[in-house]
Amino acid sequence: LNCPYCSTSNLDTASICVNCGRPLAAGAAPPPPTQSYTPPPPASPPSYTPPVPPRPPVSHSAPIGQGGPAAGAQVPNYLVQSILVTLCCCLPFGVVAIIFAAQVNSKLAAGDYAGAVDSSQKAKMWCWIAFGIGLAVTLIWMAFGGVAFMQGIREAMANR
Amino acid sequence: VKPWRIASALVLVLAGGWVLYTFPPVTTPYYPRCVFKQVTGYDCPGCGTTRALHALLHGRVADAFHLNAMLFPLMACALAAVPSVVRGRQPRFLSRPWFGWGSFVVIVAWWIGRNVI
Repeated sequence: LNCPYCSTSNLDTASICVNCGRPLAAGAAPPPPTQSYTPPPPASPPSYTPPVPPRPPVSHSAPIGQGGPAAGAQVPNYLVQSILVTLCCCLPFGVVAIIFAAQVNSKLAAGDYAGAVDSSQKAKMWCWIAFGIGLAVTLIWMAFGGVAFMQGIREAMANR
Repeated sequence: VKPWRIASALVLVLAGGWVLYTFPPVTTPYYPRCVFKQVTGYDCPGCGTTRALHALLHGRVADAFHLNAMLFPLMACALAAVPSVVRGRQPRFLSRPWFGWGSFVVIVAWWIGRNVI
């Protein structure tokens, strides 16, 4: 059974895609031509164990995102990461991440599941951008003795 | 949440607290500095957090408030999240739309406001 959104191959018994977490229910989206589709067996053999058990879709890198399939917890919003990266890296990129993080639950509340997943991925991306740039800039700044450099400029400007 | 995770989190918090308590950020050059402030001269929304935590650990609440007032609502949110996190669940308020947009407004307003006032 292939996911209609990301075409990842899933168990026939799965109700949620193991890759993107979106519902596999018929009618959620027109599935692509299923060339590798095999109909489910009428009764599973008793010793059959699925290689990947169906589990709640929140399995990305959210540290505390292991919520159950309760409404609102299905798509990680990366809000905590966005706020922390904004406060610690002090760059406008973190604010972009916060905007996307806030969009996730607004879209979920409006029933726009695909949009929420999209915002979630963008929030995650901007978190990493803010974190990476913040870390890089800080390290480069420290390596080149930026503090002394800026202080020199300030003093020069003040003593003009 | 597994007990060893809670234990290691506690150890990290205690170690960080000890470092912050013992070494004053103003005179210790080894703390990371805010590049935004050094380049632009303006405060970022997180500026002063290290000094504020140091002041708070020494019981100077008013000083901490003046160094970074955002620390207090932030700590309130963190405290509110503790019961759910210990039980291994995500706090409910984190997935409310009003909380996401509220934190966006508060952080941007704080960023602008603290540099204007």
